[in-house]
Amino acid sequence: MSSTPVPPASPSGAYGEGQHANHNLTGFIIFLCSESVIFLAFFSGYALLRLSALDWLPAGVDGLEWRMPLINTVVLVSSSFTMVVAEHFKGKGKIWLFRGFWLLTMAMGAYFLYGQAVEWSGLTFGFTSGTFGGTFYLLTGFHGLHVLTGILLMGLMLVKSFVPGNYAGGEEGVIATSLFWHFVDVIWIILFVLLYVWRA
Amino acid sequence: MTSTALSPEPPASWRRYFGFSTDAKVIGIQYIVVAFFFFLVGGLLAMIMRGELITPEADLVDRTVYNGLYTMHGTIMLFLFIFPVLNGLNNLLIPTMIGAPDMAFPRLNTAAFWLVPVFGILLIASFFVPSGPATSGWWSYPPVSLQNPLGHLINGEFLWVLAVALSGVSSIMGAVNFVTTILRMRAPGMGFFRMPVFCWTALAAQTLQLIGLPALTGGAVMLLLDLSVGTSFYRPEGGGDPVLYQHFFWFYSHPAVYVIILPVFGIFSELFPVYSRKPLFGYVYVCLASFIIVGLGLIVWVHHMFPSGVTQWMRNLFMVTTMLIAVPTGVKVFAWLGTMWNGKIRLTTPMLFCMGGLFNFVFAGITGIMLATVPIDIHVSNTYFVVGHFHYVIYGAAVMGVFAAIYHWFPKFTGRMPYEGLGKLHFLLTFVGANLNFLPMHPLGLMGMPRRVSSYDPEFAFWNVLASLGAFLLGVSIIPFLLNMISSWARGPRATHNPWNAIGLEWLLPSPPAEDNFGEHVPTVISRPYGYGTGEPLVEHQAEIERALTLQEANR
Amino acid sequence: MTSSTPRGPGPIALAALAVWIGLLALISVWMAGASLRWLPVQASNAAPLVDGLFSFETGVGTFVFLGVISVMAWVMLVHRAEKYDESDAEPIEGNTRLEVIWTAIPFVLVMAIAWYAIQINTELGVLGPMEHIHLRSPQEQQGGYPGDRLPAEQVEVVARQWSWEFRYPGEHVSSTELHLELDRPVTFRLVSEDVLHGFFIPAFRLKQDVIPGRAIDFSLTPTRLGRYRLRDSQFSGTWFAANQADVVVETAEDHAAWLKQAAAAPLQRGLSVAADEYADRQTNPHGGWPTVVPAPPPQVNAPGSSSLPHDA
Ligand code: HEM
Ligand SMILES: [Cu+2]
Ligand SMILES: [Cu+2]
Repeated sequence: MSSTPVPPASPSGAYGEGQHANHNLTGFIIFLCSESVIFLAFFSGYALLRLSALDWLPAGVDGLEWRMPLINTVVLVSSSFTMVVAEHFKGKGKIWLFRGFWLLTMAMGAYFLYGQAVEWSGLTFGFTSGTFGGTFYLLTGFHGLHVLTGILLMGLMLVKSFVPGNYAGGEEGVIATSLFWHFVDVIWIILFVLLYVWRA
Repeated sequence: MTSTALSPEPPASWRRYFGFSTDAKVIGIQYIVVAFFFFLVGGLLAMIMRGELITPEADLVDRTVYNGLYTMHGTIMLFLFIFPVLNGLNNLLIPTMIGAPDMAFPRLNTAAFWLVPVFGILLIASFFVPSGPATSGWWSYPPVSLQNPLGHLINGEFLWVLAVALSGVSSIMGAVNFVTTILRMRAPGMGFFRMPVFCWTALAAQTLQLIGLPALTGGAVMLLLDLSVGTSFYRPEGGGDPVLYQHFFWFYSHPAVYVIILPVFGIFSELFPVYSRKPLFGYVYVCLASFIIVGLGLIVWVHHMFPSGVTQWMRNLFMVTTMLIAVPTGVKVFAWLGTMWNGKIRLTTPMLFCMGGLFNFVFAGITGIMLATVPIDIHVSNTYFVVGHFHYVIYGAAVMGVFAAIYHWFPKFTGRMPYEGLGKLHFLLTFVGANLNFLPMHPLGLMGMPRRVSSYDPEFAFWNVLASLGAFLLGVSIIPFLLNMISSWARGPRATHNPWNAIGLEWLLPSPPAEDNFGEHVPTVISRPYGYGTGEPLVEHQAEIERALTLQEANR
Repeated sequence: MTSSTPRGPGPIALAALAVWIGLLALISVWMAGASLRWLPVQASNAAPLVDGLFSFETGVGTFVFLGVISVMAWVMLVHRAEKYDESDAEPIEGNTRLEVIWTAIPFVLVMAIAWYAIQINTELGVLGPMEHIHLRSPQEQQGGYPGDRLPAEQVEVVARQWSWEFRYPGEHVSSTELHLELDRPVTFRLVSEDVLHGFFIPAFRLKQDVIPGRAIDFSLTPTRLGRYRLRDSQFSGTWFAANQADVVVETAEDHAAWLKQAAAAPLQRGLSVAADEYADRQTNPHGGWPTVVPAPPPQVNAPGSSSLPHDA
């Protein structure tokens, strides 16, 4: 967030279209900061509802199974690393290795979503089962939507990587996507702690 | 579309105002015109409400109708009038004041604007669904907002939540755009402490949007799920907590009042120097005060919930933080007084609106301190005292400030001068009408008349009659304004590039400016803004730029 | 503010300024006194405390307001530009000492107000603890009041869409008119059966939201005989405005007599403007949108009245 980079000597503003690409990343980061507040709102709502509940778990439910979500967590967290590796290769100009690891990251994201779906289908409570069910599906569902968005963004970047001259105007798309993915990842870690680790 | 800074004629016809333009100046005017359309709608609803309240009984309209009217009045005035009108000013002023050719993301800007009519229509449409519109106030507190007597999926409350959510999307798009533009696209030499105060306040206000709106969105999503899907986040029967919603709501909606008033502080800070012919007193403090207000504004929201059963220590804590806001606000008020002191005051229409706005704002500030005081608030919260207080802020200060801005920058963006006589008449009617309308609400609240009522005990009749007369006067006051805008835009005298002899980058552009403002020729800023009386130029080659503009005006 | 001018004001100007400030102070003191008349009669022991605070802030506020207005009026009258004067004024960009002063003064002022208010808050808390909230678990529903630490009368207040019901469990009395004994503390247990309501008695200067799913203990002491209004203060739907009841503060004998008489009376239909208007709306519809149907009027021993003249 530096101030205007233009040297005062130049009489003409250097604000051609080329510079606009630069703003995209600024704008995206601002948006991500804002987006994180929604999650913050959901987290604090969850905590408040849970702390003030007379009986948190609906009848017939005794807590969440955590093994399967743990595997999911490991997969999602690792996908942040494969993404870093992909970007590393891109920096080195090894575009095919980039694509490979990028695809791997997408696959891991997709596996996470699959795992989430399996978990949901095995649960005995629903969205309307009190505040426990409501917050559980709200948090995991809203996060899942973000994972899906991340995968779609990655797919877009993958397709774009085949367009000749794609990186001539900068690499903001890839950087933004990876920022988003790390963001989704961090959110999940907090979610996992809140939902599965926090025991009554 | 590259043109020189000295393009001879405004580029396109009036038709561009009816299409998907990406020019911030067109979008700005689109915002303002649409906002004033909804101002008339919201004002009409207010007139019917004041008609109902001129007598104690619920006689003019059914009670359900009254509840729908006041809900829609509040919602329309906030989400369809005041936010859009301020975004319109942002669009006009931010790029021209910082010397940018346009906003950072012009297409995002277009999309953000066009969402406004979309959710506007959605909201108005709720009058025509079988359930009627939402009736639980612009707070929409559950559980009453979750009651859906007809059981239809598409009901007024559903449309209301949808509209508010779309408004949030539009505002976030706008906020990302404004913040990026201000951070990244300032003219060479324009460091933060050479930036006009309006841009500072816009930056502060939009920062608040970015932090606050997501919380409301989160809360609204849960409200929608409770309403339509049957979850029980806020339903006590299912273990939910209705008060949780209030926290979400006010975490955003208190800052929202600063989103409204900060840019108006910016307008005051721009205009007082021009019409006092003096620099802004304590420019740096005024800039910093905006961000202190942002910080404090985020930690005061519980003052709207004092009677909801929050613990004593929370009441005391939030009372203190709320009162602290008076300090940076006071710094600004004193700065404006210091600016006028020993100035050469010119009582033009914009200046009158600023002074009237300052008058009302100081009054509202004092009742605001009273509302922050817990024991007093316990008595007057949810009474007409509150309605009086915030209308002094919103109508008395913010709307007056917006009028000041419109009269001041009208020549710049239309190329025509507004008429002074009509402007002064408009000011007089507005100032008298607003005070007559909103002052009587204070004694009513102190006496114990709750807000949001369609009928009241007869002892409240006297002040209500006065308030209604004031409201009708306010209704009349809009006529000279509309006449002025339409006739002067169509036939008003041609404006020069700087009719008020003001200092600022926007006044170094022709009136109206070319589509890309300075284009390739952005001047380099070499001094602080508001250099009235110092004789220092604002930018390099200022004399040449002005000479060229004057020459061009002489030749047209 | 005159101190910021370079020359410094002469003795006459200073004297005039002092006189003016004295005048504003006088007006402010008068306003502080007058402000007490804008409020309803004081009928609880909380009222004088609240009113004192309000009067104080009105005085301070009047002074600040008039001070600012004086400066504005002065510059409008004295510092107006001459008709054809196009020139600029002397460029004074600021004054750090003044900035510090006018940051410090409001800071001290509002902190003083806050400190005063916190004292009052504490006192009010001692007079009658508000906001003792407990979640309503089903077992607790039936009677049994926690913590009778005051020799207080216990009244259960049930808020509904749209009626108020008052139950005196010790006496097996229920009513739609609230009867209280003069100078005797009373503890209410506020519950709502549907949505949020607000328990607001302006003459008592007290207000507390009633929240479904919780029971809130709320205490006060009435200190003046008379008939007052209780108003719903948290928007509760169609008949919100009509959701009011009368509060009668009476002597100990009258109160005992009323309780005795009420206990002997059979259950009958209590007051509910909403139910009456709803019935009328059903027979001759006059427009409007669908509404939640009002709860049936509570069955009570003593309906009381809501059309007698009230003191506030
Ligand atoms: C045309 C002049 C106006 C009149 C006569 C007017 C009148 C009123 C009245 C009587 C109420 C109280 C309704 C009630 O509690 O029953 C009200 C509420 C409200 N007004 Fe206005 N108003 C005017 C302009 C505005 C403007 C310009 C704004 C904002 C930009 C505004 C925002 C609100 C809001 C937010 C509420 C609260 C609604 C609620 O309680 O949910 N009003 N107005
Ligand atoms: Cu607030
Ligand atoms: Cu306020």
